[in-house]
Amino acid sequence: MKRRQGWLFFIIFLLTLSVYLLINYPLLLGLDLQGGSQLTLQIIKEEGKVTRDELEAVNSVIDKRVNNLGVSESNLQTLGGDQLILELPGEQNPLVASRVLGKTALLEFRTQKEGTSSDLKTLQLQRLIIKELIEQYSSAEKSQYDDNFLKVIQDDLKEIVQELNYSSTSNDLYGKLIEIKKYVDKEITNLFIKTDLSGKDLINAGRRQEQTNSNWEVLLTFSNSGGEKFAEITKSIAGTNQLLAIILDGESISEASVGNQFSNTGITGGSATISGNFTAENARELEVQLKGGSLPLPIEIVETNTIGALLGSKNIFKSLYAAISGLIFVGIFMIFNYRILGFVSVLSLVLYGFFNLALYSLIPVTLTLPGISGLILSIGMAVDANILIFERIREELYDGNTLTRSIDSGFQRANSSIVDGHITTLLSCFVLFLLGTNFVKGFAATLGIGVLISLFTSLNCSKTILRFFTTYQSLRQKNLYLPRNNFSN
Amino acid sequence: MKYNFELIKNKKKIIGFSTVLILLSILGILYSTFNTSYKKPINLGMDFVGGNELRIERVCESECSNLSPDSVLENLKEISKNKKVLNNLKLQFQNNNKLISIRTPYLSIEESNNLISYLDNIVGPLNYESKDSRLIGPKLGKRLLTNCITSLLVSLFAISLYITIRFDKKYALLALLALFHDLLIVFGIFSWLGIILSVEVNSLFAVSLLTIAGYSVNDTVVIFDRIRENLKFKKEGYNEIIQLSVNESFRRTTFTSITTLIPLLSIILFGSYSLFWFSLALSLGIIVGSYSSILLAPSLLLKD
Repeated sequence: MKRRQGWLFFIIFLLTLSVYLLINYPLLLGLDLQGGSQLTLQIIKEEGKVTRDELEAVNSVIDKRVNNLGVSESNLQTLGGDQLILELPGEQNPLVASRVLGKTALLEFRTQKEGTSSDLKTLQLQRLIIKELIEQYSSAEKSQYDDNFLKVIQDDLKEIVQELNYSSTSNDLYGKLIEIKKYVDKEITNLFIKTDLSGKDLINAGRRQEQTNSNWEVLLTFSNSGGEKFAEITKSIAGTNQLLAIILDGESISEASVGNQFSNTGITGGSATISGNFTAENARELEVQLKGGSLPLPIEIVETNTIGALLGSKNIFKSLYAAISGLIFVGIFMIFNYRILGFVSVLSLVLYGFFNLALYSLIPVTLTLPGISGLILSIGMAVDANILIFERIREELYDGNTLTRSIDSGFQRANSSIVDGHITTLLSCFVLFLLGTNFVKGFAATLGIGVLISLFTSLNCSKTILRFFTTYQSLRQKNLYLPRNNFSN
Repeated sequence: MKYNFELIKNKKKIIGFSTVLILLSILGILYSTFNTSYKKPINLGMDFVGGNELRIERVCESECSNLSPDSVLENLKEISKNKKVLNNLKLQFQNNNKLISIRTPYLSIEESNNLISYLDNIVGPLNYESKDSRLIGPKLGKRLLTNCITSLLVSLFAISLYITIRFDKKYALLALLALFHDLLIVFGIFSWLGIILSVEVNSLFAVSLLTIAGYSVNDTVVIFDRIRENLKFKKEGYNEIIQLSVNESFRRTTFTSITTLIPLLSIILFGSYSLFWFSLALSLGIIVGSYSSILLAPSLLLKD
């Protein structure tokens, strides 16, 4: 008896602890419950597996970029060795984030090959025309979109294609335009020679509005060695007609000449500006990318989920309704069929609920919709063990055994079936947790935790509560344990 | 005690019933593989093939005006140039025209934003706070599919291993048979749902299959435990003991199924729409699972 009393105090202690935890450490809600965006980023590697170091490197660059974006909260985690999951709570439009994060942002400084001035001029002109065509095409309203309009663009495009001697593979007009622009960009880049100065030599990036017009420019600050390299490079081409190109992800974003006055020392001071018709937004995006450094491997955004805040709170209420109504109806069913035993199982179910939630805030487990469904489902499974035990107790009572004895052997004999049965569910949860996606993990975690806790509540808590009840003489009448009057004694 | 189901007499009926269910399931799977537009054993949803799913509510004063999806589509074609989107766009109004639900092939975030602003023009204003948008790239979809299939296989293997170690060969084999029976039937039902109602399955369906597997084995284990125990302690004939054990476990099995079905039913009724088919699959699995544990598996144990 003493041991049981010890358990009773232990259970009360656990309950108090749970309530304390829940008050002080609120539950973490997933994006489907509070609204926000979730991006899945896939690291692209042509050959071989992404190594741990590479994953770490990508992770840290993305982390820096996210921080520089200035979002209030974010959560970045790796998934399955070559994916990253970024959560932006409250963000309803992940467009900017996706643009900033998705780019490799590999910054290069290149000097022009000698004797390519005229080639470059032609290509620059072609690039300008194509840019304009793309602009025209994408800004036109559907109504202006008649055959005549298309024909003008197509004719212009044809001319350039002939000049370039390049055949595109794309079928639709827009695809063609983009493809040819890429080709021209590549041709331009090919006219420049790589130097050993790159984005790695930056220590900072900034942006400001140009004084003469409303365009923006991006400021680069080099490290000491970077500044020296920059001076060296600019010195080598100062006063010649070779240009310095700043190339971002294979596309030249600025080509500039270096004046004769720098031919002695090069451009010193350790900084440079890129002024290539940036809008305020573009300049900020580039700034963030350069600050974070370039990605060691390219990434692709393979999944985007966006949930509105209103929908999130609706989801919370719906889940609450479902959980509470589930609990109530299970309770009614149990009390109707098992009387006092049913009441005991309801009490241990309530304990079960508290322990579960407390554990979520302790571990912590982020609650998502699948997670909640795992929790609700585990309510049913938690009662499962109780039913198994109660049926045994009933049988023992029918056989004419005393109440105490029936309770004891009921718990004892049901033990092995309960453990056996739960192990298979736990196995499934374990596999789901190891192999599943983020979404699925939530379900596996709550169901798994639920099954484990239910082993404790349905075996130990129920027994302790029941023992406590049976210390009262008035609660020891057998007919309180058996429904209807089919008990003959 | 009170239950006295004549398992021995009904053996043929039970086995016949299960055979019919299994044949129907196989028929559905075959039909779905060869005779549908998607040519897969089951209608794979966005999670597995990639795409864009958007649900957003309109802001209406009292009642939302009646709109036909076709006219909205016409309007969209007027404004948008993105052929990729328009050719394969599925549009539906739900909730008294309040909720717009759209499916398209995979879009970039930018394209999806454009689509939403076009919609705002046509049927707006829209309540952006109610937005639910999912964009899944085809690459990720394929990966998710292999992921789900691996999870299923690995966990089935783990469960089989556990049962073989824990039970005699005969019991283990029958428990597994009951398990595959349950999974096949639930799979078959969703094949048919895909054919008839174009219901799609996503990664949560795989989760439900896994959960059903755990649950179904659990149920069968309990009954086999009871049979083993009775064979040890009781003196009646073999077949009679099995029938007795089934009747003794009858209440327990139906009751635990009911207590598990109650919460699932409340998710179906009150929960979020994204959990509807998931909960339904689980419910079906639990019903079929209880049936196979209490009637089918013990019938197969009976000696002629």
